[in-house]
Amino acid sequence: MLEILQYPFMQRAIIGGLILGLMLAFMGVFVILRRMAFFGDGVAHASLAGIAIGILTSYNPLIVAIAFSIVLAILIFYLERKTTLSSDVIIGIFFTASMALGIVLMSLKSGYQPELISFLFGNILAIQVSELIIMSVFAIMVLSFLIYFYRQITFIALDREGAKVAGINTGILDLIFYIALAIAVVLGVKILGIVLVSALLIIPASIGKLLVSSFKALIITSIVLAEITILGGLLLSYTLDLPAGGMIVLFGAALFFIALFTNKYLRLK
Amino acid sequence: MSSSNKKNPTAIEIKNLTVAYDKEKILDNLSFNIGAETITALIGPNGAGKTTLIRAILGLIPIQKGSIKFFNRDALQKCNHLKGHHIDCFHPGYVPQRYSFDKTFPITVREFLGLALLSGQDASKIDKTLKEVGMLKNKDRLLGQLSGGQVQRVLIAKALVAEPKILFLDEAAFGIDIAGEKTFYELIKHLNKKQGITCILVSHEIDVVFKYADQVICLNKKMICQGVPKKLLTPKTLTEIYGKEIGLYEHKYK
Repeated sequence: MLEILQYPFMQRAIIGGLILGLMLAFMGVFVILRRMAFFGDGVAHASLAGIAIGILTSYNPLIVAIAFSIVLAILIFYLERKTTLSSDVIIGIFFTASMALGIVLMSLKSGYQPELISFLFGNILAIQVSELIIMSVFAIMVLSFLIYFYRQITFIALDREGAKVAGINTGILDLIFYIALAIAVVLGVKILGIVLVSALLIIPASIGKLLVSSFKALIITSIVLAEITILGGLLLSYTLDLPAGGMIVLFGAALFFIALFTNKYLRLK
Repeated sequence: MSSSNKKNPTAIEIKNLTVAYDKEKILDNLSFNIGAETITALIGPNGAGKTTLIRAILGLIPIQKGSIKFFNRDALQKCNHLKGHHIDCFHPGYVPQRYSFDKTFPITVREFLGLALLSGQDASKIDKTLKEVGMLKNKDRLLGQLSGGQVQRVLIAKALVAEPKILFLDEAAFGIDIAGEKTFYELIKHLNKKQGITCILVSHEIDVVFKYADQVICLNKKMICQGVPKKLLTPKTLTEIYGKEIGLYEHKYK
């Protein structure tokens, strides 16, 4: 079993996966608390436009996609506050329009099909050292924000008005939270792909919610579960020779259903 | 007429406060003072603007006109900081009428109170505050598992953790049963007397106002009256405020 650790591509995949698991699961706790799953999914899909611009202009697609999604996060933040449009509508329109733009731009490049597939479904095994470095830098930024403002972010998520009365600048922290979430999601696209990235945001925290009885335990459990999901999914993908992204998500979903049924069964008892 | 006498400095000073949604004026040119270390009851019929007044004072909704001062300092000056609770600012405590949250979300009472802790403040303050509101034994329970009355007590504790000088309670006894309600107001009185917290509470119960408040402010978009409950709350003024059906417990279902 340890033989899989010998391959450099597998080592990179594991390191990248663990970094992402930590960041997305931590973020995910706040995402489910604030019911922002659609935002996460939307930004992931929209990032295709950024990736396409990167490919066409020969800049690093990951960096361009991050920049693109930060702009998008800021736009969504302001439109949510300055217009009467509902958040779902705003995200829905940006998400579909940006993805459509991405598809159109990608088609300008000959032989775009395989590349498109790789971004849609991710390719953790093809991760490069340079990408690992980009990932680590941004992950440190996102994690620092979550840790440093942990209490304030939790306060806002649970009781926005209370946080405001306590003098917390909820507007700025919300904006930074949107940007951090957008960055985290785009980094996740590299591994799981546009279609699957929100799984790592939602599944670990949702399993955690079924099992724990404190907020601190929720965060720790979610992170541990995300790491188990990534390692388990990678191992399964290697052993069964099936796509890594797909196996990670399926493994996580299986854990969720096991937790759900165990939880129900135990409660009925 | 107000209780801002020489002994007590003014805790809250409102001048010409006007709040409007679209073009409809909810509060029209209100001016009043609230003396420090007093209990003030805010009364008035449904839609009189009591909640709006509190939310405007707390800076939760924009105001069209006027000024709000806490202890002679502008309350609306930018007192927002990323970490909250800036040392130069007055941050009052606030217990809302309703607090809705995801009841399936795992957070303990203790953790919930911890959110309101000031940076550098000792965590033992949480237990002390919970003890004060009679919720210490529930500190490790999940917030979502508490009854409505227990949640209100936790919310009061949360408002008190940061040791505010001013406490706003917007029908905070909502959902607390009658026996609990009595001890609830005793608790407010106790906080007021022992810790010198200025309390402003919205209440529909005239007997509560009589018993606990030092001052009453009657509101119906404009300020109708302000003064000591015993002098002010005569059948005549009550009819003026509420119309015919006075003395009934009015409850809001907004």
